[in-house]
Amino acid sequence: MSNKIASPSLPISLAVIALGTAFAILFLGAENEYLIGSLLVFVTLAVVASSKFNILNRMYATFAVHEVLMQAAIVVATLLLVAWFYDDHFSLLMITAAMVYAIAAIGLNIQFGYAGVLNFAGAAFLGIGCYTSAVLGQYTNLPSMLILCLGGLVAAVIGTILILPVLRTSGHYAALVTIAFSILFKTFLEVNDVLGGPQGLNVKPTVLFGWNFNTNIEIRDEFEASFYLCYALLALFLLALAFIFTRRLERSWIGLSMDSIRLDETASACYGLNIALWKSVAFTFGNFLIGVAGAMYGQMLGYVAPSNFTFGDSLILVSIVLLGGIGNPWGVITAASIVILLPEKFQIIQEYRFLLYGIVVIFILLYRPKGLLPRQLRNYLPGGMKA
Amino acid sequence: MQKTFRILTFLVMVCLVGSLLTTAALAKEKVKVAFIGPLTGGVSANGIGGRNSAQLAVNLRNADPSAKYEYEMISLDDECKPNIGVQVATKAAADKHVIAAATHYCSAVAMGAVGTYNKFGLPVIVWGAVLPDVTYGNDYKEVHRVNGTMINQNQVAAKFMRDMGYKTWVIIHDTTDYGKGHNTYFTKELEKVGGKILGRFGVTADQQDFTAELTKVKQLNPDVVYFGGLTNIGVRIRLQMEKLGVDAQFQGTSGIKSDAFLNTLGPLSEGALSFQEGAPIDKLPGGKYFTEQYDKAGFERGHEAYGPFAFAAMNLILDTIEDVGPNRKKVRKSLNKVNGYESIVGEISFDDHGQNKVAAITKYVGQDGKWVVWEDSEYGNGKRKLKKL
Amino acid sequence: MDIGFLGQYVVNGLMLGMMYSLVAVGFTLFFGVLDIIKFSHGDVLMVGAFAGLTTFFGLEAIGIESAWIQLVTIVVVSCVLTGILGSMIGKYLVLPLKSAPALNTLLITLMAGTVLRECIRLFFPDGSNPKPFPSLLPSESYSWGNFTLRLDSLMLLIFGTLVIVAISLLINKTKLGLAIRAVAQDGETAKIMGINFTLVVIVTFAIGSGVAAIAGIMNGLYYNEINFDMGLLLGVIGFSAAIVGGLGNIYGAILGGFLFAGLQTFGAVALPFASAYKDVFAFAVIIMIMAWRPTGLIAERTSERV
Repeated sequence: MSNKIASPSLPISLAVIALGTAFAILFLGAENEYLIGSLLVFVTLAVVASSKFNILNRMYATFAVHEVLMQAAIVVATLLLVAWFYDDHFSLLMITAAMVYAIAAIGLNIQFGYAGVLNFAGAAFLGIGCYTSAVLGQYTNLPSMLILCLGGLVAAVIGTILILPVLRTSGHYAALVTIAFSILFKTFLEVNDVLGGPQGLNVKPTVLFGWNFNTNIEIRDEFEASFYLCYALLALFLLALAFIFTRRLERSWIGLSMDSIRLDETASACYGLNIALWKSVAFTFGNFLIGVAGAMYGQMLGYVAPSNFTFGDSLILVSIVLLGGIGNPWGVITAASIVILLPEKFQIIQEYRFLLYGIVVIFILLYRPKGLLPRQLRNYLPGGMKA
Repeated sequence: MQKTFRILTFLVMVCLVGSLLTTAALAKEKVKVAFIGPLTGGVSANGIGGRNSAQLAVNLRNADPSAKYEYEMISLDDECKPNIGVQVATKAAADKHVIAAATHYCSAVAMGAVGTYNKFGLPVIVWGAVLPDVTYGNDYKEVHRVNGTMINQNQVAAKFMRDMGYKTWVIIHDTTDYGKGHNTYFTKELEKVGGKILGRFGVTADQQDFTAELTKVKQLNPDVVYFGGLTNIGVRIRLQMEKLGVDAQFQGTSGIKSDAFLNTLGPLSEGALSFQEGAPIDKLPGGKYFTEQYDKAGFERGHEAYGPFAFAAMNLILDTIEDVGPNRKKVRKSLNKVNGYESIVGEISFDDHGQNKVAAITKYVGQDGKWVVWEDSEYGNGKRKLKKL
Repeated sequence: MDIGFLGQYVVNGLMLGMMYSLVAVGFTLFFGVLDIIKFSHGDVLMVGAFAGLTTFFGLEAIGIESAWIQLVTIVVVSCVLTGILGSMIGKYLVLPLKSAPALNTLLITLMAGTVLRECIRLFFPDGSNPKPFPSLLPSESYSWGNFTLRLDSLMLLIFGTLVIVAISLLINKTKLGLAIRAVAQDGETAKIMGINFTLVVIVTFAIGSGVAAIAGIMNGLYYNEINFDMGLLLGVIGFSAAIVGGLGNIYGAILGGFLFAGLQTFGAVALPFASAYKDVFAFAVIIMIMAWRPTGLIAERTSERV
């Protein structure tokens, strides 16, 4: 399907983004079960219709040609979305949570989307980031931004423990190493009281240039915005950074090496690629991003406890990458919004929500077995390749 | 595109008609309250039981013609996970129409969410979480709790068991905040009254097999096995004690006081001890009324041990709103001053941390497939004997 | 340590290991034919146990009270139902994703597991609470000092061994087994040789799920209690056991199962005042074993095809 040649079209793509934004606003604001239901039916029909008119492929093509413009359009759309909900704490929290998960999933994507290193301990590294920001916030006076970086760094460093077994194993065997770590991590935090045990720890909020992110933005009594607005903007900024970083990485010779290692280790080794090196690099970079996301998540929620980081949560992270389409950061971002927002919107059906959520994901996969937005062929010359 | 337009028009129509209908039905002023608890996952039985009970309180109030307002309860699922808890707490608290809420069964979730309620100024009453720090770990005026803490439970439990003449204990606890907390406080209280702890086993909340731990327990040969945890693994431990021939008295906490514990164990539940805050509901006139109404309402699932607390918490909220009107600040102030409020779980009086200080702890014993209050039981009057006495 | 208690630990460990092994065998079979992680396996096991329980109620209702007839019927009905469920998961969820990245089957089976679990929790009467499982086996026990051997445990151990032997015979001695092994070695070539690939996959899924049902019923008979989330942990441990033992053949799964049970028992007993760390201990050892033997304890005998 995605191999069909489609011509790029800027107006259509921009229109789709605009429609998507409008839809997101409607969907996030929807509280009534009939409205949510009809919106879901609508989006399904819209997706079916757009694939009939080849719109998705045309968008792919447009993204390839007008890359910077399209990326800017998405950023503007997100800003609009955030601005629309400027005083709606809950919607902003959900948007931000989705973006944080997207950052973490981009980290995972570097690991197994590019280098093919499986990681089923995503939630553990997210937790390491959270706990780092809890501990550093409590005992030191380091600036919040530095704590975010350190969260990533600590995650990356702890990840190095796993590098040896991960490198020596492959496939399902490597999966087991990370699964074991994921379970070990959560159990350890629970039984060990140094880091608060099962009760968890409080996390200090983000402070930037003396501005505490946990205070509402008020301008002369006339304008009051949610404090989550700051977090949303910070998350958007971090997400954009992570996105640019992963795109650069993908396009560079490093990304090329990683792709080649994922596709055929033996052949890559024959061509002189250092497999151990690039796998470790991908694993460490990925963990760094997940750690940063975790540190920010912790500061936003203000509280961290081991039961946030179970093996099940690691599976949620992996699901985001798989559902989005392995290797495509756009897909990952889309999937993160679905995986975070859909169960939340299903709150209206209370105890039945995970049943419905499971069924929805199964259907998505049956109709798009390769994920929502599968990775396209490598684009060597960004902006220069005409379809 | 035409299709899309048609659907859009349809949607707009649906919205319009919907809103018209709701305005038409509006006779009394509508007031929103919230319930938060675990509706999915391992402890969902308790969450659903609490939800039904709180819903029952709201339904009964709405059926009452003398009520000033019409209440709508939104219920949210916290999955027993702190991050989701903070999310749904924000959802409830950020919605200005929600006046107050009955919240949380899981302590770790409550710990995470109390800060959110404080930030948004939503008065809440905790209906199930028992960790002392939920109320005592902070100074939030918004947070109240109708059920007692694990401190009260264990104080009574330790003293009672020592007075019975038991000398040695083995503690098995799950590694969640619930089990670990019980471990800490029971140990503390037991030291005061001079009991001896021979061994301590932490188990995970989803563990199936306890034979290794229990064989060790058999070796240690204690008078009592103290279990700090919930029904699902309590059942397994009691069953496997029998299989391995561990002959010790089984002492549980509030976590096992459920019908499922009795039903699953059958005759093995005989003589199991449990301690719960609150007066025994069957004995209070309000309690009988609650069980009758609950049965009448035809809920699919039982109310479980903490259902009455959820009912009491929601009723207290509704009474307060009737009293001072749907205003968060007024409700909060009024809740802070609650003193001697009669509820189906006994008298409620909040201390300066919002904790119900009337911590009547009731002792229960499993007798003929029922939880019987100790003083009324055949064990209490000497007809039957607990193990190792 | 007293020899009686030591014996008790060994028997406990064996029993636990037997259940882990039965779950792990299923994982090995799926890996063999399709090279996938099927995360719904634990939940299929749980469904097996609940199917058994329902059968028991049905038999009670129509007045069949002989424990042996009940037992045989429960095992047969539950195996068949679960086998059908397993083959349906294989046919409608796993095979359609054959051309997609192998990991996507992980996601779809994970969700299938969630759906199964939620269905039992929501639609089985009072499904969110633990359910008593009838003890149908004779409950006599023999004691030597501190060692107690229960007849039902012994019978379950023997029965489990028989199941494993039967599976091993099926794989190694029958024509069906030959076909499964052929597909496991090279699906494409097997197809060229005239083996019905789809059928073999579906049958393998049915067999693996049937074994899971047996594990579920054994679980119920041994612990006399089942619940809707019993499959979660069993699934993860069974998966770990299959891999740490080595995916090459089912003996790896069995070895892994007993190893895991041994580690957990050892952790709980040898760390008496820190027994909460037993899972930390068991999984740390697993990571070390993987670093030491990257393709499992019984290494796969494969050569890299270039």
